[in-house]
Amino acid sequence: MGSVIIENMTKQFGDFTALHDINLEIQEGEFFALLGPSGCGKTTTMRCIAGFEHPTSGKIKIGEKEVEKIPANRRNCGMVFQSYALFPHMNVFDNVAYSLNIKQLNASNPVKQLGIYARLLSKRLGRTPKDIQEKVMKILKYVELEQHAMRLTSELSGGQQQRVALARALVMEPAVLLMDEPLSNLDQKLRHSMRNTIRTIQQDLGITTIFVTHDQEEAMSMADRVAVMDKGKIVQIGTPTELYSNPLTPFIADFVGTSNILDIEVVDRKESNGTTTLKGDSFLLQSANTIEKKQAKAIIRPEHIQVLPYDTEVNKEEVNVLEGIVLMSTYLGPTVRYDMRVGNQEIIVDTTYSSGTSIFEEGRKVKLSIEYGRVLLI
Amino acid sequence: MKARFNGLSAVKIFIYAFFGIFLIIPLVSVFLISFTNEPVNIIGSFTDPAIFSTTIDKLKAINLENYRKIFSNAGYLVSLKNSLSLALVVMVLVILMCIPLAYGIARTNMPFKKTISALCTIPLIIPTFISAYAFIIMFGRAGWVTYFYELLGGEGMLIDPYSKTGIILVQVFFFFPYALWPLVAAFKISDVTLEEASLNLGAKNWFTFIFVTFPLAIPGIISSALLIFTVSFSDFGTPIVLAPKDLNLMVVEAYREISGFFNWGGAAILTVIMIIVAALFFWLQHILTKGKNYGSVSGKPKQQKMVTNKVVTRSLSVYSFIIVLVPLLAMLSVLLQSVATTWGKDLLPSGYTLKHYQTIFSTSLGNIQNSIVLAIGALVLSVVIATFVSYFVVRQNSAKMDFMTSIPLVVPGIAFGIALIQTFNVAPLQLTGTAILLIIAYTIRRLPYMVRSTMGAMRAIKQDIEEAAINLGATPLTAAITVIGPLLLPGIAAGSVLVFITVLKETSISILLAPPEWAPMSLAIFQNILRAEYYSAAAMSVILVALVLVLQGLANYIGKKQRL
Ligand SMILES: Nc1ncnc2c1ncn2[C@@H]1O[C@H](COP(=O)(O)OP(=O)(O)OP(=O)(O)O)[C@@H](O)[C@H]1O
Ligand SMILES: [Mg+2]
Repeated sequence: MGSVIIENMTKQFGDFTALHDINLEIQEGEFFALLGPSGCGKTTTMRCIAGFEHPTSGKIKIGEKEVEKIPANRRNCGMVFQSYALFPHMNVFDNVAYSLNIKQLNASNPVKQLGIYARLLSKRLGRTPKDIQEKVMKILKYVELEQHAMRLTSELSGGQQQRVALARALVMEPAVLLMDEPLSNLDQKLRHSMRNTIRTIQQDLGITTIFVTHDQEEAMSMADRVAVMDKGKIVQIGTPTELYSNPLTPFIADFVGTSNILDIEVVDRKESNGTTTLKGDSFLLQSANTIEKKQAKAIIRPEHIQVLPYDTEVNKEEVNVLEGIVLMSTYLGPTVRYDMRVGNQEIIVDTTYSSGTSIFEEGRKVKLSIEYGRVLLI
Repeated sequence: MKARFNGLSAVKIFIYAFFGIFLIIPLVSVFLISFTNEPVNIIGSFTDPAIFSTTIDKLKAINLENYRKIFSNAGYLVSLKNSLSLALVVMVLVILMCIPLAYGIARTNMPFKKTISALCTIPLIIPTFISAYAFIIMFGRAGWVTYFYELLGGEGMLIDPYSKTGIILVQVFFFFPYALWPLVAAFKISDVTLEEASLNLGAKNWFTFIFVTFPLAIPGIISSALLIFTVSFSDFGTPIVLAPKDLNLMVVEAYREISGFFNWGGAAILTVIMIIVAALFFWLQHILTKGKNYGSVSGKPKQQKMVTNKVVTRSLSVYSFIIVLVPLLAMLSVLLQSVATTWGKDLLPSGYTLKHYQTIFSTSLGNIQNSIVLAIGALVLSVVIATFVSYFVVRQNSAKMDFMTSIPLVVPGIAFGIALIQTFNVAPLQLTGTAILLIIAYTIRRLPYMVRSTMGAMRAIKQDIEEAAINLGATPLTAAITVIGPLLLPGIAAGSVLVFITVLKETSISILLAPPEWAPMSLAIFQNILRAEYYSAAAMSVILVALVLVLQGLANYIGKKQRL
């Protein structure tokens, strides 16, 4: 087990800079997610840690040790590939046993090595030692695959293959577990259950885990901390709640959850009650937050806006009240999402839906209330 | 990735060294010898300073005298002209002969199409010197064709097999399949819509063929023609059996210079010229076909209208049968001869016996064993090398290695043999006359086939499978052995059979390099033919062809299983 520290890592492919000055400090036992849009450099970061790519400059430390000189096969990073990369000519058992066999191979003298090679190439040429068998069966039981041990990997479902890949990486007791979009090949339902499986196993083993994904929901629901990447740079690192409630840039606000991002101008800073008055496109807003800039952006999460019938009386001294027209309503099960027009601006509003409440129909005039504290400024 | 020294780099160096020593140095030495006109010991120059200084002296004395001599030595010039004109005639005849056949297979519903296609593969499995010998049985002074010919009132022989005409006929009837399949492909791709447009405009079928279908197939036709030219030009088996004393051909001349007169300079010049001509035509063909993957020109298969006109299809079918009948009869003649007590100038042998086979199994079993041992040796070596070569080419984009391992494709067997003899007949690597050099020569010569086959399989293996193995602790070499290797197995198996077959058939290298105690079947047959021991030659040929047939069947079986 170990921490992973990346210092000033840059990676160039020819003229193209895939990673700019990456700095990360991942604690021992932490579940850390790398989140970002396609092509932002997540895989490249992970491949640098695993040793498949070499940083152009910068340092990587795994468990306090610099790994620059350590080749990929001796870094002890268990990797779960996006495509699983299971060995198609081996059954589930042999896939999982591979790293243990290799470990034994590397520790043997040349004569014994021949025997192990023979065994790896054909089962008829030798038996897997007891201790390896036991370890493999134990981990297979752990991922609930022990009854499929002798199956070919091609005969398994996607979720089962995923678990084989996980077991294969875990059995070597790696210092870090690297997972590159491990769930992207699974269907929606399976993805949810695998999230829980992975998270539970990670917690159980307390293994340092780096999880690459472009799905913010995945990152937010599973990780202890998340690093958001964009165009080869890390833009923010924090716990899911920090990222959600305190996005540093509009990009993060948009990428982490859904946001209404409004261009505003700061017109007044009141010292007395600490609110800032903002002038939007065709409305005024009060925010409990402050910002130095004059031209800024206000971020309002869709679920922080309340929709009220037009005739409701609201105390304008405590909350922002805006008038809106419903453009469209979408029923999403527990929530209803409205597309609203406020002045010349379109915004999204999410309301919880419980039986008995009514949905505002399209074209209806409504009031929207937003607490001052929910208006973030960037 | 930064290059790190590991087991794989060592393998890479080994492969470069192997090709460097056994392919590049021999070719370079032949080239040098063609100027110096006397032996040059390149390998010795690296190990012994004395040899080095004499080599330098020889190189200092280099001049074009030797090359000037070719133009004065009428023999060489004539042999070049003869070889070129032979290849040219064969090329034209094969193309003319194949166009209707290919059209019949590609675009008509001619009867017995499947049977005809299957029969068209026969010529490819028969070593040319056996085909040549079969022609002697048929057309020779005591041949059954001659018997018929005289029966019908002809005088002497219908065709003298020991003549340029004889050589041309053998090559035409036994090399045509090389051109046939590319031609079939060419006819298949020609644009149907254009043809239909032509027919819609009221053009007749034959008019459409001549002015639309045919021109569209021209690139394919030219490319097949160039291929046939190279094959005919490089062929050693036919001329060595059939060329009369007064017909000088490059391959025969080169063979005589090296094995008869030990004329190093002369053999070297002929070798260099042969390689240049073969390489030139190979290159021309290559640039013509480059970027034209006939199979996948357009994504969706075009619905092609098959010609169903009975007169056309039936006459094409008859025509095709006549063509495939010639090789078939030739093989039957060898088969009959192998079980004949005596077979004079008559339609059939005067009696039948298995004694020739008995003789072979009592006296020549060694040759069969040799062939198999040598072929297995070459096979093992090719498998190992080809596996790694395709790894380097596919995974590390090693264009250099790709190029290097393709060189043997353009070097005629006899030229390669001469280059090897000239390089390895002196210390420190005195290998001429050993089985090792023979195996290495077979390996290098057939490696391109093996590499093609394994490379295809390698391309199908995803990069991350290998990375997974490394991630799990395997060194690149261990990953290659335990993961890549087993996944390549189907490709290796297919390539192996091909290598095995071509080594069994190999003529020029065997004749030049095999020491008596390692004489393979092909050499034994060749010597029997030279000694006019036709019956045992026939029996041995039948065994050789049977062996090849069995292996070919095995290859087809493996191929089918793979596709399932
Ligand atoms: N071997 C390479 N050579 C050149 N450019 C590369 C190479 N590998 C990656 N890149 C480039 O580096 C950038 C980052 O790639 P990377 O694979 O890390 O993206 P990613 O964040 O994992 O994206 P995705 O979510 O699509 O997997 C991309 O623009 C990519 O084109
Ligand atoms: Mg990626």
